Amino acid sequence: MIPEVGHLALIAHLVLCFFAGIIPLFGIYFRNQALYFSCKRISLLLFSLVSLSFLCLVYSFLIDDFSVAYVAQNSNLNLPFYFKFAATWGAHEGSLILWIFAMNAWLLGFIYLTKSDDESFSLVTFSIACQVMFAFSLFTLFTSNPFERILPIPPINGADLNPSLQDIAFTVHPPLLYFGYSGLLIPFAIAVSAMIFQKETKEWAASARPWALLSCSFLTLGIALGSWWAYYELGWGGWWFWDPVENAAFVPWLLSVALFHSLITSQTKGLFGKWSVLLSIFAFATSLLGTFLVRSGILTSVHAFALDPERGLFILGILAFFIIGSLGIYSLRDFSKPTTEKYEVTSKEFGFLLNNLLLVILAVAILFGTIFPLIYEAITDGRQISVGAPYFEAILFPFAILLGILQGFALYLSWGSTKSFTFLQRILIESVSIFTLLIIFIYVVFSSFNFSSFITIFLSVWIAMGTLQITQRFKSNYWEFLRRRAAVIFAHVGMAILVLGVAVVSNYSIEREIILEKGDSYLLEDKQITFNSMEDKLGPNYVSKLAKITFMDQSSDHEVITEKRTYFPSGQPTTEAGISSNVVRDLYISLGDNLQTDIWSFKVQIKPFIRWIWFGSIMIALGTLIAGIKQIRRS
Amino acid sequence: MNKIIDIAPLIIFVALILVLLTFLSEKEDQLESVLIDSTFPEFSIASLKDPKRNLSKKDISELPALINVWATWCIACRIEHPFLMDLKKNSVLKIYGLNYKDEREKALDLLKRDGDPYEFSIYDFDGRLAIDLGVYGAPETFFIDENGVIRERHVGVIDKRVWEEKFAIYLNE
Repeated sequence: MIPEVGHLALIAHLVLCFFAGIIPLFGIYFRNQALYFSCKRISLLLFSLVSLSFLCLVYSFLIDDFSVAYVAQNSNLNLPFYFKFAATWGAHEGSLILWIFAMNAWLLGFIYLTKSDDESFSLVTFSIACQVMFAFSLFTLFTSNPFERILPIPPINGADLNPSLQDIAFTVHPPLLYFGYSGLLIPFAIAVSAMIFQKETKEWAASARPWALLSCSFLTLGIALGSWWAYYELGWGGWWFWDPVENAAFVPWLLSVALFHSLITSQTKGLFGKWSVLLSIFAFATSLLGTFLVRSGILTSVHAFALDPERGLFILGILAFFIIGSLGIYSLRDFSKPTTEKYEVTSKEFGFLLNNLLLVILAVAILFGTIFPLIYEAITDGRQISVGAPYFEAILFPFAILLGILQGFALYLSWGSTKSFTFLQRILIESVSIFTLLIIFIYVVFSSFNFSSFITIFLSVWIAMGTLQITQRFKSNYWEFLRRRAAVIFAHVGMAILVLGVAVVSNYSIEREIILEKGDSYLLEDKQITFNSMEDKLGPNYVSKLAKITFMDQSSDHEVITEKRTYFPSGQPTTEAGISSNVVRDLYISLGDNLQTDIWSFKVQIKPFIRWIWFGSIMIALGTLIAGIKQIRRS
Repeated sequence: MNKIIDIAPLIIFVALILVLLTFLSEKEDQLESVLIDSTFPEFSIASLKDPKRNLSKKDISELPALINVWATWCIACRIEHPFLMDLKKNSVLKIYGLNYKDEREKALDLLKRDGDPYEFSIYDFDGRLAIDLGVYGAPETFFIDENGVIRERHVGVIDKRVWEEKFAIYLNE
């Protein structure tokens, strides 16, 4: 009964979205006020319907209703209840419901939080968003309905949630990403509606900016969590793999960063209007494209969703309809309202232009690398190549350097033109001194130099110093300073910290394969690694081999546990790495194979500064979040 | 001139959609492998472990067997690796590896480190055999019955569930 309620709620959502998506357009076309309606009520109703549908699915999971096919495929009696809850979005069908839920939440926020005096503009924005949600509901109901039943004889037990998803980080990672992706719907809808009404650039940019910032914040957190999960769960200590699906999230992230920077210029100076429209469209398009690449199965990756070409076709249809539609409007619109604002090469405007060009070219290059294997295969009749980390790293490096250099002094540029460049000298002096200290520190800690790391380490110092210099403008009025610039300081310093983490971890990591008998030790640098004991453990839905390891150096010793679990419903094994971490490094050990009685292989790694990558990401997310909230309040 | 620039994004995007569309429809045909129910193709390719040893179809001697396409650059392959190790331990079925467009040293390192579930691995550096098999990407697994006929194919990670749904039935026959 309950699943049917959820099913009906979703159908009602679909129907309501359909009418909310077209009626306002008629109303505006025929200038008939009778066809206008209250966005507030409708969006609240839509949100309630999708929440009901979502809750029904959650309920079916919690009570183990295996007559629902989706529950039977992704849950199990032995699964702890919190994972049953998270299993709701553990596979394709349920994650779509979550996605639609996220879109509704954003739309509700947009309708309730932004004050608009232009009724028809917000009505059309609302209806465009409803059209997209209609398409997603249609997709869910027709190709991926999570409420389908197995009747008359339901299975006694379910097949279990994919074991590698049975993890706290991984239960939070998908919702954050979906919120990030779907948040880009709002700038998209605003941009399209702005084109239809030929809105002033300044005006529409102001209403789009907070939502671009908030999406970026969610995307940042989602991506960082995914990376952290891969680091400790997959057992080989990497944190970024250039996997097609990672790229599919990275590209919208880059574009959302480009977008909110471009919107700053559009809002304050009325410049880059067309560019911001295009970015809004493409940021949304790449988030749909990411979905397409993952769900259609045309690229294989660690993120294995059930492959189904029919679904791929459907998503491609949605993508084509909305993006061709919006680009069509774009190509027909007359944007020829030249702004009188002039800016010079030394201006803030030009800085933003460079920032955007670099980010967009980088995004295009990464997107190209991701789908190039497909194109290559299509034109060479089935010959395959794989584009891997070397390509992406070679592409990323020069762009990261240029972006970093720019970021270091961008905050000092003035609108119009910058008169004095004395700040460059100050930043340079400070950066060089801090850099020297840092290098000495690194030498003391790792007793080695790695010259290739110097550029990136310097870059991170340069960004940090350049950002922190801005505090001087506020003399000692820190409260005022925090109130006005906290967001940008957080985000930019976060970027510096992230760059430093990447620079150090990719140049100073140590990795060893070792074989230890119980009771034996191994000396890695100044750390003694001792294999204390091996136990069998029985978890709620898995059996595990559990090794206790001690890391010991002059000052301290830590015991860590590394496990190999076999989840019994699916028989799938997972590795749980043992990690002992502090601010400067992680000691990372993962259990390998049993070679003989009491003799096991291990993989030990020292990962310096790796926490900085995630810490930096959190700061970026926080910075963009604060900025987004501030922008909402202002509008 | 300006009009042309305005239309450019649209044209580029339509082109992209068309490429993805052709690929999608091609993939549908491809996945229905023409090779199902035909015999395993002939080949003559070096062994991964011993570059001097040339392997051919005759070397896949113990049937029925699994042919597993793998590579060190393929992350999903590492996920299915423990399952293959288990299978080797617990099943009579032999597994033969097809090391696909990989570097020999890396591949040998991986087998040394994580264990070797394969009777032997074919070192298909330029992917010739993979083309004959219509391999879509790593990992991919083929089941060959006792007459050397390909009976089943699975694209993607193979785990217990896939094993039971797609492969185990052939063993019971």
